[in-house]
Amino acid sequence: MAFVQNFPFFSIVLSMFAGTVSSVLPQKPAKYLNTAVICIVGTMSAVLLGFTLQTGESFTYMMGHFPAPWGNEIRAGVLEAAMALFFCIIMLLSLLGGRKKLLGEVEITKHNLYYILINLLLSSLLALIYTNDLFTAYVFVEINTISACGLIMIRENGRTIEAAVRYMIMSLLGSGLLLIGICMLYDLTGHLLMSNIREAVAQIVAEGTYSMPLLVTIALISVGLAIKSALFPFHSWLPDAYGYSTVSSAAILSSLVSKGYVFLLIKIFYRVIGFSIIRESKIIDVLFLFGLAGIIFGSLSAIKENDIRRMIAFSSVAQIGYIYMGIGLGTDVGMIASVFHIIAHAATKSLLFVAAIGLTDVSGGSRKFIDLTGAAYRNKVAGVAFTVGSLSMVGVPVFAGFISKFLFANAAVYNSGKMLPALVVLSISTILNAIYFMKTVIRIYTPAKTDYPCITWKQEKLYAVTMVLFMILNIILGMGSQPIVDLIQQGLSTFA
Amino acid sequence: MKETVWVIVPVLIPVIMGIFLLFMKPSKSRKTLLWITAAGLFVTAGLVGYVLSLGDAGYTLFYLTDTLPVFFRVDSVSRLFVSVVTFIWICSGLYAFEYMKHEENNKRYFGFYLLVYGILVGLDFSGNLVTFYMFYELMTLLSMPLVLHNRSHEAVMAGLKYLFYSFFGAYMVLFGIYFIYHYANTMSFTAGGVFDAAVLAENRSLLLAAAFLMLIGFGVKAGMFPLHAWLPTAHPVAPAPASAALSGIIVKGGVLGIVRVVFYIFGADFLKGTWVQTVWMTLALLTVFMGSMLAFLEKGFKKRLAYSTVSQISYILFGLSVLQPVAVTGALLHVVFHAIIKCTLFLCAGAVIYQTGKTKVEELSGIGKQMPVTIWCYTFVSLALIGIPPTSGFVSKWYLATGALQSGTGIFTWLGPVVLLLSALLTAGYLLPVTVKGFLPGNDFDYVSLQKREANGWMLMPILLLTICAVALGMFPNSLAEFFAAFVPQLM
Repeated sequence: MAFVQNFPFFSIVLSMFAGTVSSVLPQKPAKYLNTAVICIVGTMSAVLLGFTLQTGESFTYMMGHFPAPWGNEIRAGVLEAAMALFFCIIMLLSLLGGRKKLLGEVEITKHNLYYILINLLLSSLLALIYTNDLFTAYVFVEINTISACGLIMIRENGRTIEAAVRYMIMSLLGSGLLLIGICMLYDLTGHLLMSNIREAVAQIVAEGTYSMPLLVTIALISVGLAIKSALFPFHSWLPDAYGYSTVSSAAILSSLVSKGYVFLLIKIFYRVIGFSIIRESKIIDVLFLFGLAGIIFGSLSAIKENDIRRMIAFSSVAQIGYIYMGIGLGTDVGMIASVFHIIAHAATKSLLFVAAIGLTDVSGGSRKFIDLTGAAYRNKVAGVAFTVGSLSMVGVPVFAGFISKFLFANAAVYNSGKMLPALVVLSISTILNAIYFMKTVIRIYTPAKTDYPCITWKQEKLYAVTMVLFMILNIILGMGSQPIVDLIQQGLSTFA
Repeated sequence: MKETVWVIVPVLIPVIMGIFLLFMKPSKSRKTLLWITAAGLFVTAGLVGYVLSLGDAGYTLFYLTDTLPVFFRVDSVSRLFVSVVTFIWICSGLYAFEYMKHEENNKRYFGFYLLVYGILVGLDFSGNLVTFYMFYELMTLLSMPLVLHNRSHEAVMAGLKYLFYSFFGAYMVLFGIYFIYHYANTMSFTAGGVFDAAVLAENRSLLLAAAFLMLIGFGVKAGMFPLHAWLPTAHPVAPAPASAALSGIIVKGGVLGIVRVVFYIFGADFLKGTWVQTVWMTLALLTVFMGSMLAFLEKGFKKRLAYSTVSQISYILFGLSVLQPVAVTGALLHVVFHAIIKCTLFLCAGAVIYQTGKTKVEELSGIGKQMPVTIWCYTFVSLALIGIPPTSGFVSKWYLATGALQSGTGIFTWLGPVVLLLSALLTAGYLLPVTVKGFLPGNDFDYVSLQKREANGWMLMPILLLTICAVALGMFPNSLAEFFAAFVPQLM
């Protein structure tokens, strides 16, 4: 076994360990430790990605010395490594971009708590990516939920506590359903390791027994994870949670946490149940419909919104809808589009959240559109970044959003039954996106006579650098998408 | 085809200079600004000229995905459109040197003006549908600051209206592109179409629907009924030189899109005799008539000209929709002539507003006594737009009418020329009152306090130059006609 194959395990344990250590560290060292850990995990994921690309296949890694079917396993392939690397990049950028704001919004004594939560969140996300064991997945789903709650609540004002409670209730409902689903699956198959369950499920289906329990299981798991990733109509917790938490939290929650669950769901579809069985179960048709509805209603709610942060949050509902629509198409091309959109949307949404905070900061902290008039002149970097993010969301070529829209459309054309609804909704939503994002861009570029202070990039170098990196990332995704799509394709093919 | 990087140079230079202007220190004097703008315009024009002299040149910039290159190619249609763009852009740009003197934010205006120039050159040089779409979107976005230049509530609302209509159209186009990507062999523009005959036959109704959506989508930019409403709102609120550029050039972006999609993607044969052609012809004729009628009823000077654009662009669309070589030649001739004429009209209107502040047609009595040169130019190009020989409009309308008569499209063979004729009458009805009232204000006109208020050289020169072109091209249309004869038949 190559040494590199230990890296997934190292990443998970390292970030957990860092979380534990942070509890006794003062604020500054905790901050540096957290940054270092994200960088190290990112580097390890990059090395792992290189390794898996070189070998061209995935591997399973035994935790402890209990062989399957009893032990606990980690599995790493191209897609997992790429996801881990990408999540690290986004998390690092989101934290850097929101660092100054964090100082203002969170009590200084709570800072190391914040970094504990971030570290735990990272470790749980990595575990969701790498795990080959359903029960481990469940455990880390819970860790993820709790740390996400903490991240929402840490500002400790009324709205965030309310948002956190909402999030907690909805999220626990989701995990409850997931747990029941896993239990039933265990009941049916007698296994918890993904590959073993898959064999057993294939056998059950071949024999034709237990078809109803299996269907219920699939439904429970899908709905459970759909609630947690805020698929319409289970999205009611989202706008408050993203809208009022501190900016790094909002960026991380919207771009990583919900995506971690989607990734887990994709993994379960491919590796636990088997995609052909899922396709026959019609559950994906339901996901498809919810996805379409989410796209429309998310965008409509965003148009109605008068608060820039909540508007971006509602736009997330629409974007999650896209991802489920791609899954719901039930083809490998659709799945590739969805996974690409996970990446593209994560890159764009965190950019938007961080840019929005730059704009609201120079508008007296108000997030109402009327106060944001001309904000792009007061904080030029944030203005440009917000424009880039908006154009990407609207789907202008050269930016990441165009490629994912294109992939979705291309996937839709391959599925004759769902082609028309998918394409129609895709175009309607693009127009709706254009309405609210362009409205905002024009608003922030409309000059206004205000006495709010201006901020130049020299005053906030870290913020400016982060925004530039975000924009570069977005353009890289938009112009050099082919290698990434190839990589996703390769990764998904090893899933099956 | 010759691969050469020169093709993208005239796209990049104005874009870079435009961005440079936008980020230039506000403390720099207006003179510097104008020098840079002038340099940008002329250097780019020179580069465009050089690229056109290279012949059949192309360049692949990079690949969006394996199968989607961003690809440029200079063909005859590119040559035509880019020449028109360059000519109009320089005239209207020089005019703005004086006109924008009293407006704020010159830096932004000229910055975006150069940016849009580069984008338009890119649009004209685009070699495939995706590249075209990219520049089309950029054109919409970057020309918007020109529309809402003065930032009044009205202007911002007009800008938004422009944006939403354009996006709506662009996404109908994108919708069509998805289908084309799936069924076509390539997205590169190829005269005669890119589809296999078998594929076309098999997915006939689907692809017809896609073609229709793309026609309507590009029709938004070209101001075709039913999605024309943004045009009369957005064009008049812009500063006059920007209105001239928008009405003369930007709307032609939609025309170019339709030319590309119909003749270079689907192929004229595919659409001939289908419901798509019938609907298209109907919509175009309806717009011709409706636009003229609305212009006739309109009181505001610039708004009247904007309605006139709605009507005149649909002349072009009608010519294309007939799918017959002579009519298509007429349509492309009208692209050139309308760009020149409408630009002149808006520049004249701008000169009147700049000198007298009058914006309503009825206030303009006696204007010819105050600004004789401007109004004479206005009169000449009006005659050209109406189509009175020997001016240019006559030539294009002649081709349009004969093309329609030879086309064999049933009722449209005679209905088309009739509507064009009716609309020409209306054109006379809405353009000439300015001249008549301007030179013959009647007895109760106050001759005593009459002052000469002619605009200065920067504004008059472009107007004169354009007027001369509008008239002269009508008298000597042969070289243009030869140019068209060389490539139009290949499109069919």
